[in-house]
Amino acid sequence: MTSYVIPLIFLTVLLISALKKRNAYSVFIEGTKSAISLMCEVFPFLLAVMTAVELFRASGVSATVSQFFAPVLNLVGIPKELTELILIRPLSGAGAMAVLDNIFTLYGTDTYIGACASLIYGSSETVFYVSSIYFSKSQVKNLRYAIPVALVSTFVGCIVGCLLLRI
Amino acid sequence: MNVIWLIILFSGTTVMLFTNPDGAIKAMLTGANNSVNLALSLLSTYGFWLGFFALLEQTGVSEWINKLIRPLIRFLFPGISRESEKYVSLNMSANLLGLGNASTPMGIKAINSMYEGKDYANTNMIMLTVISATSLQIIPSTVIGMRIAHGSAFPTSFLFPSIVATVTSTIVGVLLVKLLSRITKKREKKDALPVAVKLSKGKNAV
Repeated sequence: MTSYVIPLIFLTVLLISALKKRNAYSVFIEGTKSAISLMCEVFPFLLAVMTAVELFRASGVSATVSQFFAPVLNLVGIPKELTELILIRPLSGAGAMAVLDNIFTLYGTDTYIGACASLIYGSSETVFYVSSIYFSKSQVKNLRYAIPVALVSTFVGCIVGCLLLRI
Repeated sequence: MNVIWLIILFSGTTVMLFTNPDGAIKAMLTGANNSVNLALSLLSTYGFWLGFFALLEQTGVSEWINKLIRPLIRFLFPGISRESEKYVSLNMSANLLGLGNASTPMGIKAINSMYEGKDYANTNMIMLTVISATSLQIIPSTVIGMRIAHGSAFPTSFLFPSIVATVTSTIVGVLLVKLLSRITKKREKKDALPVAVKLSKGKNAV
């Protein structure tokens, strides 16, 4: 369904622009220009976050911390094999993808673990990444309860989803 | 963010000092390198979508989208300005359509337009962050693609529970923000009241 929506909106926009006899080309260029300044602001945050995530994984700290959290997750019905995925997911999309790929190779896609992993990745976002990028151009430094609330709600969603998968 | 970042770097480097002393810097440089690759691919996505959003604005189509979800936005973001409303509606619709990367520039603009000169986030900023960070995406195309690549017999079998999970997380998030903002507002009002009274008195005097 969504594969039709976006091209259709695109066509509508082009059509209206032509009907109104506006210069679509120069408007597009103007919009695109702001991408460069935006990326200049966002890039330092990207680098800082992704540097830390790579170290987190490569040093084995994430695997150790995962072992520590595993019993808690087992308690709410999430297989302990997925702890590292849950831990990395809010930090980095690419990192979580690597972990997910590994899970699929080890346990298969159509097992309970595979399905749970797909659900955890598919139903959540890179919380830390989103929050730091959104505020990257703003003077606001204190996000108050934004990150804890996002993490807790994501976790609740995952628990409910994994429960549904077992039924 | 600062504390988490420091903890990760500190623990990671310390551990690697014992296990693999060359590894720490190597890993961090790999991460930095990944970020450059990501930045380049994001630059093309941002460039394309920002150009497209400029067209949306110029043709007035963004105003239609805005009208479509205005009631929802007004409920979620009380007291929102017209400018922020426009960015938030584009951000949310891009998220709903699964264009996570396209929604980011609008998210940044929305947060900037909500800035009130304070160094802490206001409730509307937190609401937008939580809604985006609990994922609005209905169809996780990345995962489906990966499942197909791994030879899954039922690549979309997890879809229904996944939709329930993402909707649950967003609803829980919205409710928590509403609840916490009420609690903190009461506290703020108690502190702010004397100033407000003084101000109004001052105005009367003038």
